Amino acid sequence: MPKIEVMNGNKAAAVGAALSRPGIIAAYPITPQTPLVEYLTQFCADGIIDSTMSEVESELSAMSVLTGASLAGSRTFTATSSQGLSLMYEPYFRASTLRLPVVMAIANREMISPQTLWGGPQDALTVRDAGWLQIYVEDNQEILDMMIQAFRIAEDKRVLLPINICYDGFYLSHMAEKVVIPDQEEVDAFLPPYRPEHILLDPEKPMAVDPLTNGYLLTEYRYKHMQAQQNALTVIEEIDREFAERFGRSHGGLVEAYRCDDCDAIMVTMGSMTGAAREAVDAARDDGKKIGLLKIRTVRPFPKNKVFELLKGVKAFGVVDRNVSFGWNTGIVYQEIRASLYQNNTVIPSVPFVGGLGGEDLTMEHFLVAIDGIYHAAASGDYEPATQWLNKEV
Amino acid sequence: MNVMDKLASSEELVSPGISACVGCNVELSLRTVLRVLGPDTILAIPPGCMGGVGVVGWDKKSGCKIPVFFPLLDNTASMLAGIKLHYERVGRPVNVVAFAGDGATVDAGFQCLSGAAERGDRIIYICYDNEGYMNTGYQRSGSTTKGAWTSTTPVSGGGRGGKKQHKKDFPMIMAMHDIPYMATANPAFIPDMVKKVEKAMKVSEGLAYIHIYNPCITGWGIKAEESIETARIAVESNFAPLYEMENGRFRINRKPKNPVPVREFLKKCKKFSHLSEEEIAELQRITDEKWNRLKGLCAL
Repeated sequence: MPKIEVMNGNKAAAVGAALSRPGIIAAYPITPQTPLVEYLTQFCADGIIDSTMSEVESELSAMSVLTGASLAGSRTFTATSSQGLSLMYEPYFRASTLRLPVVMAIANREMISPQTLWGGPQDALTVRDAGWLQIYVEDNQEILDMMIQAFRIAEDKRVLLPINICYDGFYLSHMAEKVVIPDQEEVDAFLPPYRPEHILLDPEKPMAVDPLTNGYLLTEYRYKHMQAQQNALTVIEEIDREFAERFGRSHGGLVEAYRCDDCDAIMVTMGSMTGAAREAVDAARDDGKKIGLLKIRTVRPFPKNKVFELLKGVKAFGVVDRNVSFGWNTGIVYQEIRASLYQNNTVIPSVPFVGGLGGEDLTMEHFLVAIDGIYHAAASGDYEPATQWLNKEV
Repeated sequence: MNVMDKLASSEELVSPGISACVGCNVELSLRTVLRVLGPDTILAIPPGCMGGVGVVGWDKKSGCKIPVFFPLLDNTASMLAGIKLHYERVGRPVNVVAFAGDGATVDAGFQCLSGAAERGDRIIYICYDNEGYMNTGYQRSGSTTKGAWTSTTPVSGGGRGGKKQHKKDFPMIMAMHDIPYMATANPAFIPDMVKKVEKAMKVSEGLAYIHIYNPCITGWGIKAEESIETARIAVESNFAPLYEMENGRFRINRKPKNPVPVREFLKKCKKFSHLSEEEIAELQRITDEKWNRLKGLCAL
């Protein structure tokens, strides 16, 4: 029987990872991910899981140990946040270009400077083009479920790519809520052991991994890597459906559309902010506004066709970003959405919102302001409005 | 069986066609080391000379008969640690080995190596110390000897310049990690090198480190035919002594009865040709001091 426990997001990630039976775990503590590392080392010490834990001296080594372990054939898991992710950038990029199905939880944290340690996905979004799959989740149940699904997605022969499960630091990592823990046998039935065939360091089958490679071959690598990302669009949805059949919970696949069937405008969100946004949409609906909500779950691969289908008919949309894209003067998700709409001459008035930076709260009031802004854009037909800053004093 | 017979009867594991410089004693060291390690070995060759000459391979061709890969310049020891952990889990005895230049060891890769040494990851880490970034045209490293010309420590027309700092005493730094086995080696002393690799293979409770001193023909300005002779004088002058540390006990493997002056080693290498009498005396002083310290450690 599945158990029910009240736990924070870090524990949900640790339990989800543990149920997936990784062979080797290597992690270095960093706020707000630290308790996740402590849970896993405790699980190992208590013999609850049969993983080998490497207590590395930095995140650079965390990803490097896992790269080696995965090349040798182990299932691997790590977790990090912000500066730790930046420090591991070199092996991070390479884990994807080596096509190693490493799973890494990211307790999203703002990047310095100024010195900060609160939540926000600036860390992971900044490295969105490093070839990994990236899924952003909303609550602790989704964290646990996605840890298990992550291994299936990453190890699928149509994909074979590393994957990040991203959850907002503190809002999820340290907030406790009810989580259903599936049975180990059910997880085992859903997630078979990892058996690499595409790349392996084994004296019985000698292989040179990454000889010096000319551009024509490297182009082939990139072409196939891009195809694998596109294949993941199908695989993520397939595995979400299979998970729902086995465990009774679907998390929406690539995106979640809320009250979008009859809407005339849409607000786009990602991650833990979505709960407050949903409440605001309900309140605005009560107020007579036909607003819908689109939650982005996968940033890589980006579900551009889903986004296009949902947004193509609306009068206006807005995107609330808890991050910035320097040089574009908007958030990152806003740009991704805009790029998705560049099909069939679609031009829709829109508003980029930036809020919740450095872990600032995004409340229902902020989303109501955003909804007003979206309808203002619809009325004025403003195609290039300036970014609206939701928590800025001046 | 003596060492030479043993080497002659063992399998050559590096492709015959790699493109190292004429007289390169690093290639000789690598071929020797792999003959001892044998085919049940996984080899990491980080960016550097041995990667550049094709030991990992080109496009679809491998430079080795064993599993071989490029780690990053800075993560060799950590990648190997992960590989070893996997083989320990599945219960297969495999030699997991780095053959890394000094840049990838004493500079960029130091953090990962120090971490693996402290954790006791059971890998064999071999550094070929040719005192600089030779594969990119001889820039200084933390392992370049004081006074040496490099492309980033240039010497003026008036003969002034060269590197201002002396090299890190890296074998000693690794010994002070209290790893089970640390040794220095030299391509002019192959039987000694073979013994040390065999000892490293027997280490089961932590990291084994071997530091090979490899004078570089091209970068240092040494005559190809004096490759081995120059390496030998580095030992005979006590500049790069042969010693080992086994479970905390230091032992000098070769004590020259009448050490030749360091000047004899320096004058083999064009990179030292601008040195003044004072600078040569300074290197002799450093050599004597380090030798005395080593003898002191052996007496403990």
